[in-house]
Amino acid sequence: MPLKAYMTNLWFLALALQSLLALVLLAKRAWNKFPVFLGYSVFNLCAAAALYMVHGSRVTYFYTYWTCEAIGLILGFGVVYEIFGTILVPYPALRRVATVVCRTAIILLLVLGAIVIGAQSSGERNQIMASILVAEEATRIVELGLLMFLFLFSSAFGLHWRQSAFGITLGLGLFTAVELAAVTLRNHLGTAATQTFGVVRILAFNTSLVVWLGYLLAPERVTSNADVPKTAQLEQWNQAVMELISR
Amino acid sequence: MMTVIVIALALFAVVLFYTAVRSRRKQTGQIRPVDLKAFRTLMDRDDELFLRGKLPRSKFFHLKRQRIRVTLRYVARIAANASAVLRMGEAARLSPKPEVAQAAAQVLELATQIRLQCLIAMGKLAMEYAMPSLQLTPGMLAPKYQSLRENVSRLGDLQTQNRAPLATAI
Repeated sequence: MPLKAYMTNLWFLALALQSLLALVLLAKRAWNKFPVFLGYSVFNLCAAAALYMVHGSRVTYFYTYWTCEAIGLILGFGVVYEIFGTILVPYPALRRVATVVCRTAIILLLVLGAIVIGAQSSGERNQIMASILVAEEATRIVELGLLMFLFLFSSAFGLHWRQSAFGITLGLGLFTAVELAAVTLRNHLGTAATQTFGVVRILAFNTSLVVWLGYLLAPERVTSNADVPKTAQLEQWNQAVMELISR
Repeated sequence: MMTVIVIALALFAVVLFYTAVRSRRKQTGQIRPVDLKAFRTLMDRDDELFLRGKLPRSKFFHLKRQRIRVTLRYVARIAANASAVLRMGEAARLSPKPEVAQAAAQVLELATQIRLQCLIAMGKLAMEYAMPSLQLTPGMLAPKYQSLRENVSRLGDLQTQNRAPLATAI
């Protein structure tokens, strides 16, 4: 199958999956729990439809694509912030520490983004395009860094994720990681990589859509109550440790 | 060079997400016992000073690293128990009984502090493992953990579903 036809099929698949995701979110009344993610999903669906409508005109497509990309990026940051708030709701004692660590992470990521903007060379001949790609690369670094921070922070504190919040973060993280790698390579290799960049991007987005749908539709896992160990087990453990100490 | 760094960052992120999915599947919420007396012995700095004075340098370093390895297992267990308590405290915090909700909030606060102390203790122990001549006493953990036990026990007494066995288990 030629690459262009393959791309079109992937595009239709993305449209179908996005429509399904929007329906699932609406059925689950996601505007109460994840209003920004709902906005992000609906926006992506509208953007995909709009891009399909204007794909005949090169200039209109260019401006529509990059405008949608910028809005999508802002909404992506909104989703990260929303998830951050959601996972911290049951732990008010952690809020202060989390805020301080998060601010530090944001500053470090902004510095890293600035370094990328300053140091990254571009294989793109068009200066405007080169600037857009470097800016997107820097922004994706900040976004991916924040998503990584969410996972690292929650793992360090052993925080419990609700299934849907975990799925949303995982899907967004996967898409952002692939998008970052793709935009970096596209920037490095120039226009030769445009088509490959497009295929990789849409494949990554479709994968994220499947992840989102999977986690939203799967039933929430019930956290089991603590298993109380038997006294014999406790004694065995104590004995083993005492032996280790006195060795 | 920058391209390689950015690609490496993206790959590391994918590995991190994969690890998160795997550890989420493994998460059991089990409470495992901690012998605080043995833990206190391991953390006793006087004991360490005594050994330092009695043993040759290389033997002391070897012994100290062994002690650190065991201590790290204890700290990891305390950390895991604290997060299991955090998960269980979530539900109790929403209890309609104000005294239960208040006790649960205290338990959550303590469990959070313990998680933080565990992270600090792990960092200090890792540094001591690398440089055994260092002595970075992470001594706050045992009394805090004892306090968590007492609070979980109190919460168990307040709730209709008695969680007293849990307090003795941790």
